[in-house]
Amino acid sequence: MKNVISVQNITKSFKGLTAINELSLEVSTGEIYGLLGSNGAGKSTTINILLGFLKPDSGNASINGIDTTSSFNDARKHIGYISENVNLYPYLSGIENLDYFSKLTGKNYSDKKLGEFLNKCGLDNSAHHRRTETYSKGMRQKVGIAIALAKEAKVYLLDEPASGLDPLASNELSGLLRKLSSEGAAILMASHDIFRVRETCNRIGIIKNGALVKEMDTSEVSTNELENIYIEYMQN
Amino acid sequence: MINIILNEWKMLVRNRVFIYLTIFFVLSLILVVWMGIIQNSTQQEYRTNAQKHVRKQWDNLEAMNPHRAAHYGSYAFKPNNLLNSMDGGINDITGNVIQLEGHVQNEIVYSEASQSLSISKFGKLKSSLLLQYVIPLFLIFLAYGSISNEKETQRLKLLIFQGISMTRLIFAKSLSIWIYGLSLLLITIVFQSLLISSDPEVFQRLALLILSYGSYYYIITSLATYFSARLKNNTSALSAILATWILWTIFLPKIWGNAVEKIHPLPSRMAFKAAMKEERSKGIDGHNPTDKRREQLKNKYLTEYKVDSLQQLPINFDGIVMQEDEEYGNLVWDKHFGNNYNILQNQKGLYQVSGLLNPFASLQSASMGFCGTDMIHHLDFLKKAEDYRRVLIKALNDKHAYGGSKTGDWGWKVDSTFFRSVQGFSYNAPKINDQIGHYLIDILFLLWWVLLITFLIKLNTNKKIIL
Repeated sequence: MKNVISVQNITKSFKGLTAINELSLEVSTGEIYGLLGSNGAGKSTTINILLGFLKPDSGNASINGIDTTSSFNDARKHIGYISENVNLYPYLSGIENLDYFSKLTGKNYSDKKLGEFLNKCGLDNSAHHRRTETYSKGMRQKVGIAIALAKEAKVYLLDEPASGLDPLASNELSGLLRKLSSEGAAILMASHDIFRVRETCNRIGIIKNGALVKEMDTSEVSTNELENIYIEYMQN
Repeated sequence: MINIILNEWKMLVRNRVFIYLTIFFVLSLILVVWMGIIQNSTQQEYRTNAQKHVRKQWDNLEAMNPHRAAHYGSYAFKPNNLLNSMDGGINDITGNVIQLEGHVQNEIVYSEASQSLSISKFGKLKSSLLLQYVIPLFLIFLAYGSISNEKETQRLKLLIFQGISMTRLIFAKSLSIWIYGLSLLLITIVFQSLLISSDPEVFQRLALLILSYGSYYYIITSLATYFSARLKNNTSALSAILATWILWTIFLPKIWGNAVEKIHPLPSRMAFKAAMKEERSKGIDGHNPTDKRREQLKNKYLTEYKVDSLQQLPINFDGIVMQEDEEYGNLVWDKHFGNNYNILQNQKGLYQVSGLLNPFASLQSASMGFCGTDMIHHLDFLKKAEDYRRVLIKALNDKHAYGGSKTGDWGWKVDSTFFRSVQGFSYNAPKINDQIGHYLIDILFLLWWVLLITFLIKLNTNKKIIL
């Protein structure tokens, strides 16, 4: 399998404080990588470097072999980004939001096609034409993923996507991500939700003080074992 | 960019508060324009009638000595420019009627501010008040959160990731709000032009008003959007743009205006009158037969007509003396009023330079100028009224001198046929094509600000400001 997301020995400091320390990780096509860590561990900084919004002090980050810092405009074409809170335009409906964000990428889909994207992400037909100010957080996340899907992104970067979702919505999100990975997407998901990461991801990396301290396949550990490993690393 | 503009508009029209405010603005503007036009035409009708009444009185003067008629004099009423209904400029504080008589140049009197406490304190409600203060403020409130909201909700990252550049996003957001301001302006202008004459001069002036206000609205919306993008949050962006707006509209005009008056001070009314009186006393005193200069003039005319005494002259020497006195007085007036005129011109020029730092100063100057209600237009009226006074008094003095009477015959009279033959006062405001030179600096400074902010956005925004 081809490595699509690649982070090589990146270091990043803010005002003398090291946020990322010699971090390396790779995510292949069809893989969901869970970056697990506590608040301030460096998960969001890693995502921001991959998004090209932050420049590492050393090392490099690339998407599909394209450096995210020096070739930001080329790299972003391949990336779908879903933040912790997908804030859509509240006065627009789900389908209007999707249409607008798709047009920004130069894609002009028919209403039928836009509806199909939303359906694929699990948003009921009845909600397509409702203003998103009435949507739950889970519904907004689905539209967020539909936006990435409509962009035809092959790489998904998710920053705490399940935070604040109810168990059903969270479970639906996991299912959706697994479906995308089965279609060849490479997904990097930063989270501190051990259970959700264990349920969703193929591989897990534990990050502490900006350094990757442990990497494992999900199949190697149960949820309880993962929790014990995580706590052990956090306490040491 | 079109998609972003359309999207912004789609969201605006779905916002009820925005719709209510827009209805309020449109109705206010239409009402103010309509009221302004009615007020303007009522005033104009009153002044036209007054001018006709004065003329009628003049035409029906009883038979009298021409010099008595010169003291009776006439009146010039300052007509309202059609666009006075949009921007009253200085018209409220300057007078609107001037008495024209022999020997003396009277001041223009009866300003509206002197007759109304509310006008003297707050000025009149004109559409310029809404267009210069209220609408820009509303544009600021629409624009200050346009990017910072996107930043605070993290939608900005998503927008950038969908392929739109930061610069393009700022321009698109700013243009969508600018189009709104421009629409309100155009509604005002269209309504104004529907209700007043179809004079091409008025259309030309309205086109220049669109250029000036359109540029200012671009400056305000772009700067507010720029602050919204550059500063950390909504509060900082709003504080920065409001501070700039207050500086431009309240502090800088006062500070600069005071500085201009210090640099080019006008003489006080007392000093002006004293200097005039002193210099005037050096000329011929038309009513003093023992005056030395009158004696010199008498000898000149006696020599010219080869006679020994004034009684032998075929003309009335009193009329010659009066005109001589008048012409000397005119020279004195030209010198002193000309000096004041130059000072006022210098003051205006220096005030206009403040447009380099303050686009609002350029807008105000351009707005008054293009509405024909600024100092330049006022001085033009004063000059034309004075020119007419000179023609009127010369006609009366010439009649006195050459009409058939003899020197000292103060009882000699002319009848109303002569008075009717003297042309009445009529005033045509200057054409904007002839006056445009006075306002080029305002337009240039507004365009300079448009370019400056465009370059600022282009060169000083990038994706780093997202975080």
